[in-house]
Amino acid sequence: MAAKRVIVIGGGVAGMQAAVALKKQGVTPMLIERDITLGGKLCRWDRLFPSGTRAGEVVSPLVEAISETGIRTVLCGEVSEIVGDDSRVEVMLTDGSSYEAEAAIIATGFDLFDASLKEEYGYGIYPNVVTSVDLEEMFRSGAVVRADGSEPRSVAILHCVGSRDRQAGCGHCSRVCCITGVKQAIELKQLYPGCNVYNFYMDMRMFGSGYEELYKEAQERYRVNFIRGRISECSGTMDSRVLVKAEDTLAGRPLRLTVDMTVLLVGKQAPASNAKFASELGICVSSDGFFKGADCFDGATLTSRRNIFVAGTATGPKNVGESMNEAVAAAIKAAEYVKGLA
Amino acid sequence: MVNLYFEPFIIPFIVGVVVLFSVMWTKFISWISALPQSDRRMMRSGIFSVATVVGALWEAFRECLLHLKIGRVNGRLWYMHTSLAFGWFLLIAFGKAEAILYLKTPVVPIYVDVFFRKYFPFAHVGAFGFIMDALLLFVLSGLVAAVVKRFRPSVYGMRRTTDHTLGDKLALSALWCIFPLRLLAESFNSAIYDSGSFLTGSLGALWALLLPSRSLPYINEVLWWCYSVSLGLFFVSVPISRYLHIFAEIPLIFLRSFKVRASVRATTFTKLQRAACSRCGICIDPCQLSAEGISLDTQSVYLLRDERAKGATLAKADSCLMCGRCQSVCPVGIELDVIRTSVRHDRRKATSSFDYGYLDTVHVPLATSKVGFFSGCMGRLTPSVAASMRAIAIRSGVDIWFIDEAEGICCGRPQRMAGNLDAADRMRERNEELFVESGIDTLVTSCPICLRTFREDYHLNGIRLLHHSQFIAELMEQGRLDVERGAASFAYHDPCELGRGLGIYDEPRVVLGNIGRLEEVARSRDKALCCGGSLAHLGLDMAQRDRIAAGVCAEFEATGADFIVTSCPMCKKSLSRSTETRVIDIAEAVKMAVGVEEA
Amino acid sequence: MEKAVADIHKGSSGTVAKKFGFTVKSGRAIDIDAADMSVADEVMARVPSWSLCIGCGGCTATCTAGAFADYNFRRLHLMVRRGEVTGLRGRLSACMLCGKCVLQCPRGVNTRGVIAALMELLPRD
Repeated sequence: MAAKRVIVIGGGVAGMQAAVALKKQGVTPMLIERDITLGGKLCRWDRLFPSGTRAGEVVSPLVEAISETGIRTVLCGEVSEIVGDDSRVEVMLTDGSSYEAEAAIIATGFDLFDASLKEEYGYGIYPNVVTSVDLEEMFRSGAVVRADGSEPRSVAILHCVGSRDRQAGCGHCSRVCCITGVKQAIELKQLYPGCNVYNFYMDMRMFGSGYEELYKEAQERYRVNFIRGRISECSGTMDSRVLVKAEDTLAGRPLRLTVDMTVLLVGKQAPASNAKFASELGICVSSDGFFKGADCFDGATLTSRRNIFVAGTATGPKNVGESMNEAVAAAIKAAEYVKGLA
Repeated sequence: MVNLYFEPFIIPFIVGVVVLFSVMWTKFISWISALPQSDRRMMRSGIFSVATVVGALWEAFRECLLHLKIGRVNGRLWYMHTSLAFGWFLLIAFGKAEAILYLKTPVVPIYVDVFFRKYFPFAHVGAFGFIMDALLLFVLSGLVAAVVKRFRPSVYGMRRTTDHTLGDKLALSALWCIFPLRLLAESFNSAIYDSGSFLTGSLGALWALLLPSRSLPYINEVLWWCYSVSLGLFFVSVPISRYLHIFAEIPLIFLRSFKVRASVRATTFTKLQRAACSRCGICIDPCQLSAEGISLDTQSVYLLRDERAKGATLAKADSCLMCGRCQSVCPVGIELDVIRTSVRHDRRKATSSFDYGYLDTVHVPLATSKVGFFSGCMGRLTPSVAASMRAIAIRSGVDIWFIDEAEGICCGRPQRMAGNLDAADRMRERNEELFVESGIDTLVTSCPICLRTFREDYHLNGIRLLHHSQFIAELMEQGRLDVERGAASFAYHDPCELGRGLGIYDEPRVVLGNIGRLEEVARSRDKALCCGGSLAHLGLDMAQRDRIAAGVCAEFEATGADFIVTSCPMCKKSLSRSTETRVIDIAEAVKMAVGVEEA
Repeated sequence: MEKAVADIHKGSSGTVAKKFGFTVKSGRAIDIDAADMSVADEVMARVPSWSLCIGCGGCTATCTAGAFADYNFRRLHLMVRRGEVTGLRGRLSACMLCGKCVLQCPRGVNTRGVIAALMELLPRD
């Protein structure tokens, strides 16, 4: 048996990291990305929590490593079907081409929640209701302004949009929105020190190293207002501002606030294609739609098929660091497996 | 001296008849005399209208005997009901005729014609022997059909048939015995006297062949006794069983034709309607709670059954979407939703009390137009509807005043459906004041729940009440809103309150047909499914609601339409959670089609 | 030391001694030990989804009645869950049963079901 090939599906940070790690293990990886460039969702991001590192500083070295090590990369490759058996995997693309390998790592990531589905927040109806992704793009472009070009003097940031919300069909926690909300609040204050920023949250889930410190910094140094209560509705005012309704649950009173801009922290959702690929491969998805690892400890990157591995946010919401480390773990497991083949 | 033809074996029959008619008439007369003043006034004016009375008579003939409405729903079920009811009616009518012709006197005691063969075994009146046998066969075929239905409802395309009370079971057993016993008794008669037509005669010949001739008279005597007992037993059990419907439907039809209606505050007309339920079970299968296995004993038939027997529990009355699907197929035309509301009201009135003193502090801003748009509570959670209406108004050059843009009072229908009628009336009164004071002449709402109570319960001094789909259809018809037909396809979901509730089926379809291709789902218009969001049900949890919605969405997805379009904010919320297809309101579809910019 | 405490309690003027101390005035603290959970248990049995509340306040924020009246459903039902049921019945009577809270609840609590049950079970004020 000569070839020791592993196909990595998805060219985001997890997929690239996995491909590079596979190459280091002496295996021949191949990377399939549906977009025109590598980098995935991070290409749309400005700075990363909690350090403030530019997203490009994480993505670029990986892209360079891919090209330097000559890893075969297929761009604009939309996967239509994954077939195979216990010894071989065949990945077919919508353009009719197909690729075969001994194993595959699925690093297909997540979809962003479509904020217009939470109609009561008015995304797509009121021009000054934006998503966290829109705000990142504003940060990248350097123009954080309202629809009419003016600078916002007050901003409400709403946590858990498309997360922990059965009404929106997503009961799971997207994990990274809380810290993203803190980060974006700080960035807004850095940009406009006079701007009042209000974060509306249900719980502040500061799980990562340095997160709690960033939260404290937002309170102490930037005087960001944290209000415990979920916004129920946003409505537009005559002067194109946004009226938000919530309950200040700690004060125990309904609350109204008119702001220049509302930011919806959109959650991470499992792509609809997960279920299809899972059934083609005979592997499992969790109730939230993300791929399910063999177990949640050592087998987090394994599946019920011995030659299919999973990494990154394909198995659930994660931060960048976790995704990249999981990719290395998946690469090691996959390399061990293909090397072990007779 | 009139010949009374008394024989001991008629005693059970006579007892049954006397009990039945005295109990039944006592009930009916007490109910009718206890009707509210207004109902009795309508009754008095109706009863002297020849056209109304003839119409009611004709309806009673069609529905009590021929069961034409059942025929429209289910052909096999129709045969079962008609062969039993109409067949039995004909047996009685022809039996009477035969006896009158034979005895040559118009006054024949009822038991003489019922037991005619026993009294006059040698009687031979023209073709009556044949006719009576044929009718008996007709009824027996219905009986076989009834037995099949009880044990294999699937033969009738029914998933479930009704569970009965003890009284029902008693009456049912007696009923099932009556006609086989009649066949046996008459055939033994034929065996002894060598008479009878093709059915009783042939069977009689068989008995004569098989059994010793000495035994035949004894068996014959026993069988006639049994026949009389089964008839008597059936009649006695009629008032305590569902079979009261046979008689109750007749006064119901008359009162209804006099425009007497059930009320959410129950009257004795409610009792009559309850008694008129035949427990045919046609209401069970359309119920989505039954179809989804969510609740199997709360359907209208069971509510009426329990209410008649001992009073239904609040939990049972509460477990209903009030989608109106059962009411639209009820062959007796019972006002099921009104009755259910009245039960809820009755069970709740002791504990529910609401205090809306604060309503007096609610004011609406000054009207900026004669046309007011009311979003309603649910509409506030679907702001794209109001935003689309704003855009459509600008495009058509009409001014719309958005009444409850800042705040609004609930229309009261949710409280009404929960049976809290006083609370609902309090909200209605304040809203009436606000609407009338504002000076609008047209009130448009995108919420069918609000529209229904505006139309049915509100007094608005002639303010025109329109659903926004009707308003848009008018703008199109008047040429004020130019649209071009696009390539998009729309599958339209009829909201319960708008369709079955208010009969508005066409305007939304006209609107959608003007802007794109209209697709119909498997069950639409009066057969449309409920989205599961229903405010009428207080007990459903989200998973159950989603299960109902998923079933609805599956039908829509099967059409392959680009959009699921509805015209109710509640439906939009319920359905959009359960499908990948985009669910939009009709106003959004129109806004997309005219391509207006955000207002 | 003991003597000093005793002196304070005795005090030269009795009022000082009464005001001093570490006991919490009853009626201020939620006393789970002494609470009567019968209403809460019955509501929970009828509306199991009630257990899912995470207190986000969405119901209160969206409440049609709450815009006009002193009616806070989140706080009210939380008090019931803590066994404090007196004085709540009157407040509940502001509810319009409009159903916005049901559509708002991220955990899918059947809030209207809870309200209907409370209407029946809460003691009259």
